[in-house]
Amino acid sequence: MAYKSYLWHYRAQAASPPGSAPLRLVVRCIPAVIVGSLWLLLLSVAPARAAVTEPLETEQHEDIGPNGVGSGHLLMREDASGRYIPAVIHSSKVHFDINGMIAIVQVEQTFRNDTDRYLEGVYVFPLPGSAAVRALEMELGDRRIIGVIKERAQAKKIYQAAKMAGKKASLVEQQRPNLFTNRVANIGPGEEVTVRLEYVQAVSYEADVFSLRFPMTITPRYMPGSPPEVAVQSPEQQGEELEIQEPASPVETLSVNNALGWATPTDRVPDADEISPFLYPAMGSDHAPLNPIEITAEVDMGMPLARIESLYHDIALSRSAGVYSFDLVNGVSEMDRDFVLKWQPVSGRAPQAALFTEKFGDEYYALLMVVPPTAKRMPASMPRELIFVVDTSGSMGGVSIEQARSSVSRALEQLRPQDYFNIIEFNSSYTALYREPMPANTHFTQKAQEFVRMLSASGGTEMLPALRQALSHSGDEEEARRLRQVIFITDGAVGNETELLEELEANLGDSRLFTVGIGSAPNSWFMRKAAEFGRGTHTHIGDINEVENSMAALFEQLARSAAVDFRIDWSAPVDAWPQRMPDLYQGQVLSAVANFGTAMPNGDVIVSGLVNGQAWTQKLQLTDSTQLENAGTHDGVASVWARRKIAGLMDQKMAGRAETEVRAEVLPLALAHQLLSPYTSFVAVEEVMSRPTGGPIATSPVPNTRPKGQSPQHFAYPATATSGPAKIWFGTFSLFLAMVVRVLSMQEADHVPSDEE
Amino acid sequence: MFRQMRNNTVVNSLGSKMRKKWSNGLILCLLSVGIQQFGGAAIIQAKAQLAPILIEVAWMETLQLHGQVVKPWPWADTWPVGRLQVPELDVDLFILEGDSGNALAFGPGRALPSAQLGGSGTAVVGGHRDTHFAFLKELRKGHRLQVQVPSGERREYQVDEVRVVDSSRELLSVDTEDNVLVLVTCYPFDALQAGGSLRYVVKALPGERDLMSKLSSAGVWEL
Repeated sequence: MAYKSYLWHYRAQAASPPGSAPLRLVVRCIPAVIVGSLWLLLLSVAPARAAVTEPLETEQHEDIGPNGVGSGHLLMREDASGRYIPAVIHSSKVHFDINGMIAIVQVEQTFRNDTDRYLEGVYVFPLPGSAAVRALEMELGDRRIIGVIKERAQAKKIYQAAKMAGKKASLVEQQRPNLFTNRVANIGPGEEVTVRLEYVQAVSYEADVFSLRFPMTITPRYMPGSPPEVAVQSPEQQGEELEIQEPASPVETLSVNNALGWATPTDRVPDADEISPFLYPAMGSDHAPLNPIEITAEVDMGMPLARIESLYHDIALSRSAGVYSFDLVNGVSEMDRDFVLKWQPVSGRAPQAALFTEKFGDEYYALLMVVPPTAKRMPASMPRELIFVVDTSGSMGGVSIEQARSSVSRALEQLRPQDYFNIIEFNSSYTALYREPMPANTHFTQKAQEFVRMLSASGGTEMLPALRQALSHSGDEEEARRLRQVIFITDGAVGNETELLEELEANLGDSRLFTVGIGSAPNSWFMRKAAEFGRGTHTHIGDINEVENSMAALFEQLARSAAVDFRIDWSAPVDAWPQRMPDLYQGQVLSAVANFGTAMPNGDVIVSGLVNGQAWTQKLQLTDSTQLENAGTHDGVASVWARRKIAGLMDQKMAGRAETEVRAEVLPLALAHQLLSPYTSFVAVEEVMSRPTGGPIATSPVPNTRPKGQSPQHFAYPATATSGPAKIWFGTFSLFLAMVVRVLSMQEADHVPSDEE
Repeated sequence: MFRQMRNNTVVNSLGSKMRKKWSNGLILCLLSVGIQQFGGAAIIQAKAQLAPILIEVAWMETLQLHGQVVKPWPWADTWPVGRLQVPELDVDLFILEGDSGNALAFGPGRALPSAQLGGSGTAVVGGHRDTHFAFLKELRKGHRLQVQVPSGERREYQVDEVRVVDSSRELLSVDTEDNVLVLVTCYPFDALQAGGSLRYVVKALPGERDLMSKLSSAGVWEL
């Protein structure tokens, strides 16, 4: 090695007679030490290759390759810019038609096949949890095929037969109340198929503000449980495997059930593969959306509005004759976050009660909304116990965990010294900050703030044990006197919602559960439902800037006692839902639906309840609304009634009623009202054949876009080198240089006199 | 070589004094730079060697407190979450929380997005190739790794695979189903430069062999 020989020279020279500079003495004292250490160091870095020192530890940020999505499918290909795109390309349009308390929403999904083979597209998409999907239409060029509602298994059979026969077909199934699958078969090369869905929902109204939320992507959900021991196929499933065997990928077309999800079914989430759509490996953006969506709306409230705003999208708003309409400023947006619209009547015009009716078939339906009076704050002496449960699982990574930390931190500041509190964080396992709830004095809250600052997101989402821990409390008498409020902060990204709701139903006890939904694409249905089962409220936080206001509003609710014991006297026998009215907190309104049968009763609807411990009643005259000319014409009320009844029946199932009984009630209801439900699906089939008989068809997943701000699921390798070796090398190098310079100057000194002579 | 240099040196009496001053200054400069660099390297090594003494105390306390987080020193931003032992190589290390530079300076660290040690899923532990994880180059397939988790439980792993990956091309893909331990360090072990893209990856599976067959190859990790 080159510098070894230099060094050898140096040693030879150093021993030679010295020069005359005073510094030389100092320098001469060191050589022995330096030479020795140099040798040692040289040995230690012997294999080192000459290199320039670099900035220390640079984090690796990689582009994610295609293998994150659907590895094993031939379906991803690369475009010129190096982006991976699926075989079936999807775009959406959504139009909201908001009229009073009811929104009728058209969702249009267009699938394009740019490959040269026939494809089946499978798109798993979210909708609001209370959406009553009541129509399906498939558009092929200028032809329109109206979808029909069928019993689920029957619909699947029809679809499968059409798929095999080479006909274009669309099948929309409900996997969860807020999660659906759309399959479109036989999209020809270069063809486009549009599937249009229509759903109805009641807009939510809280604290004088109307709002509506439209989810667009699915935060990957955690599937607890272990794979089932043996994969036994039911005879039914085997029957369905009469699929055309495609030579290229026979496994993929074995069954129409093949869901193309990233998760495999577990014993606790048997349909995990149905609810785990692939995501694009890269984040999307509004400029070049992976799943573009156009959003338009018309809002006709029949009253002047003070404001109308979209929380996460820029909208261009216009107004004509009291009807507001808007579209997106940029035309399209990426489907990587929920769309949230809020609007508020001018002050003093906020409705205090409303009744909408519709005649559907021969029967009359009504939607009732009543604002109860505001409850007083609880006396300061009322002892409270607040348990914060924070989700720190991997899906919370990125902006979500920041929002969660900030929410808890904000909440801790709002505690009163006489309150008791505890924090439980959970991912694959849970950790409680204190063994038992501690008084919220400065000492304990400061420690808690520190604990919250250290929270980071990783691991699984084992929600059940954490929930159990939060609901359990010692039988201590003093503790039992306290009002127990559990604040559950999560994105709800789990596949075992039913199991969790059943736990709540069974073990809520005296506790009250308040859920706070976090992130760009939370599982809102689950959290709303959990709050309903937990007899608390649900709050959304989609942006760090919302934390302050949302938590303040939540604490207002926590600080006031709920209005309870609501009853509605409809003055006639009706089929009304919900059957048990929920407790209402600050800002919440009472909402119920009823089916009057074939004749509208002539009388008053009397709403009564207990507010601040005092009886409260309100009378609404039914006759007034029916005498109006447009009585019984409010489109959508019947669908909302049927949807709420189905939800109520499904809740009974979670409370322990036998599934066969529930199904027997839900199925005819859903068929009569043409609604999508767990037991009914929409199917549309083209009359003519598109695909030549016997030709191959492959199945392509349509990936969703990653929720905005979520940290990447795959992660980079850590940087694992220190600058130590480089430092040693550079240090050695400079010491060596120092010696070379020294030697050179000594030699000069040696020779100067001789030259002068 | 020196002879040549000497011959080429243009010398005159006036210049020689100037040059001597100049060369002394240069020597001083180089010496101080050299010492500073050595000092830096010494600090890195010292941190790596001395911190485990404090960390061990914290770990013992963690075990006594049944897994509560105990910081090794009050201002630490990391804490021990496991103890890794390789009896065959006489290795005994404490695994810290987090694989950022400030944790790795004191010991190998668990990558935060990965699973908990001993839990289900893939736990990824990174360590510096020139301090704690220098021993990885001696690990061979079949070597036994013992990991103690905060609850005090001991897990046994067996090295299953050793490979070098290019981290600029490939991401760590882990799945949540199985219990896998992945040790990562930089490669090559003797490279001067920090921040290279190659990584030396040791994958270890739970001691029981039958678990290996359960390993799914679905390299997609989603939560």
